[in-house]
Amino acid sequence: MVIKVENLVKRYGDLIALDHFNMELHEGEVLGLLGPNGSGKTTAINCILSLLKYDKGNIEIFGKPMSPDAYDIKRDIGIIMQNVAVFEELTVYENTDYFCGLYVTDKKKRRALVDEAIEFVGLKDFKKFYPKKLSGGLLRRLNIACGIAHKPKLIILDEPTVAVDPQSRNNILEGILRLNKEGASIVYTSHYMEEVEQICSRIIIMDKGKTIAAGTKDELKSMIKAVEKVTVEVYQPNEGVLTGIRSLNNVISAEFDGEMLVVKCGKGSHNLMMILEHLKANDILFGKVYSEPPTLNDVFLEITGKELRD
Amino acid sequence: MQVYKAFFKIIKKNLIEISIYLLVFLFFAILMTTTGSDRQNIGFEETKKNIAFINNDKESEIVAGLRDYLSEKANIVEIEDDAEKLQDALFYRKVEYIVRVPAGFSDDFLSGKEFQLEKTTVPNSTAAIYMDSLINKYLNTASIYLKYSDSASQDEIIKNIKKDLEAHTQVTVNSFNTKKANGQKYMYYFNYMAYSLFSVMILGVCAVMIVYNKTDLKRRNHCAPIKTRNINLQLLFGNLSFALIAWALMVSTSFIFYPKQMFSLNGLLFLLNSLVASVTFLSISFLISNIIKSKNAMSAAANVVSLGFCFISGVFVPQEMLGETVLNIASFTPTYWYIKANIRIAETVEFSMKHLKPIFTDMLIVLAFALASVTVALVIMKQKRTSEA
Repeated sequence: MVIKVENLVKRYGDLIALDHFNMELHEGEVLGLLGPNGSGKTTAINCILSLLKYDKGNIEIFGKPMSPDAYDIKRDIGIIMQNVAVFEELTVYENTDYFCGLYVTDKKKRRALVDEAIEFVGLKDFKKFYPKKLSGGLLRRLNIACGIAHKPKLIILDEPTVAVDPQSRNNILEGILRLNKEGASIVYTSHYMEEVEQICSRIIIMDKGKTIAAGTKDELKSMIKAVEKVTVEVYQPNEGVLTGIRSLNNVISAEFDGEMLVVKCGKGSHNLMMILEHLKANDILFGKVYSEPPTLNDVFLEITGKELRD
Repeated sequence: MQVYKAFFKIIKKNLIEISIYLLVFLFFAILMTTTGSDRQNIGFEETKKNIAFINNDKESEIVAGLRDYLSEKANIVEIEDDAEKLQDALFYRKVEYIVRVPAGFSDDFLSGKEFQLEKTTVPNSTAAIYMDSLINKYLNTASIYLKYSDSASQDEIIKNIKKDLEAHTQVTVNSFNTKKANGQKYMYYFNYMAYSLFSVMILGVCAVMIVYNKTDLKRRNHCAPIKTRNINLQLLFGNLSFALIAWALMVSTSFIFYPKQMFSLNGLLFLLNSLVASVTFLSISFLISNIIKSKNAMSAAANVVSLGFCFISGVFVPQEMLGETVLNIASFTPTYWYIKANIRIAETVEFSMKHLKPIFTDMLIVLAFALASVTVALVIMKQKRTSEA
């Protein structure tokens, strides 16, 4: 077990930020902490890293209790903070060297590690650049280089793709998967469900400081009734159309979103054909048609009654 | 030593801003050395005053001798013997002293009778006192010759008087309490150093501490396997090294400009006093760095605190020219005591405990400011730590 968190409680006055939160990270796993802003993801990370004192609970990393002075544990942890934490006055190389130097004292070894980390995040051509000269995406990559240069066994990434362009985001996500392949266990927090779905082998969905669901993405999706979402563009939407669709077998819900008819269906074959035939039989004109499996947002919506991005 | 190394990399990035104060200081130091002279403070130079000499007596040898003697010590201005013109000359300072030889003066003087020379002067004029003493000196000498050399002719008496009054004695003043003049110039050098050193210290220390006090970086450092005490210790060494380098740079130029004075006990005391002040400036800078959060605030603090402290303490304007209220307020600043110690050092020629005690007392007061600043800074840091946890 890499991380084991049991019954973690953290209060800010009357506000309960973490309410008996539990978490386990196994070796070689990419664990996603998914939840809307303010759900307690960052608080949980800060408690795990002993940056915050907590009111109750136990935290173990690599089988040992975590504390602010557990330096032997800290030595094997790489942290990439939500906010970019680098020195404006130091170049890309100097920044990476500084943070790596806090873990690795051997100069020669460090030089190789720093070069490797800079190359890994694709900043080889920007070694002598100061952070001010880097774009948002490159700055995030520098933040990652500083966190992983010492080759940690455990990497904690707290929303590393916030305010990053899609191309840089893909680079970062690919990099995380590469780090995992190289043997690092990873905790990845985000409120972007697509990212979590893309890279995490196991996911914990959080809300109001609690774990509301945990498992692989397939396990999570199987927790809800809907297995297919059909969206049809209808030219003359009216209440009669909805009543007709709702009466069909396997249809769990049907709603209009503007001109788009959104139908959620349960387990069954040919759900899409069934809906289209019904529309055709009733002379209802339709245009674009989509069919997709449920997302983590649907899981969150069904469990909490609100959307992840609310 | 990652933190220590990063400290100087941050300083390097802010070097231009810091160097401005160093360059300004060097400029003033050179200016002070190359311009102005303190000759008037260390020597005596005779100046000639303008006087009028009116003779209502006959042109005797004694009157001529007196006129000749006075003309050697003053400029005799020719003015018509008219009451209004003579008063105008005094009013417009054409002359500062008018001596009138009354009729019958020569006969009265030679026969030993009482006589009176008339004089008109500018009120409260030092020239009048000086001219009185010259006339008295001449006539007293003449009286002595008349009294004791009955056979000598007037011509011989005048020659003897002239010979006597030409004699000069070399006077050397040995002061055991003050040699203010000698220390003045390099005292100003060290006084002005307070401003530059203070500014450099605030800019340097704040530039680094603002970075290390950033919440994100602080948290990131806490995640690393390095003790907070270790980070703080490296920062402390960084601050001390920076202070020492800044001080050494500034005092090193004093050895170029004032080599003779610097290799003396006074020079040593100046060095010690400035070193003590450096420690205090460092502590105050450390306190400021815990209060301010941005670089803009840093520049403002460097100007307001250092300039403000220095202005009321007598760095730019001598303390004796500042008002009592200003000095009372200034006594709550370390720069005031630093300047005070500098003044005492400049005046010291005898290095006994009696004379050194007040200097060391001033230095201890300056150090007390350092202690107070560090204490307040530590309290602020603890409060911040508690609120962050």
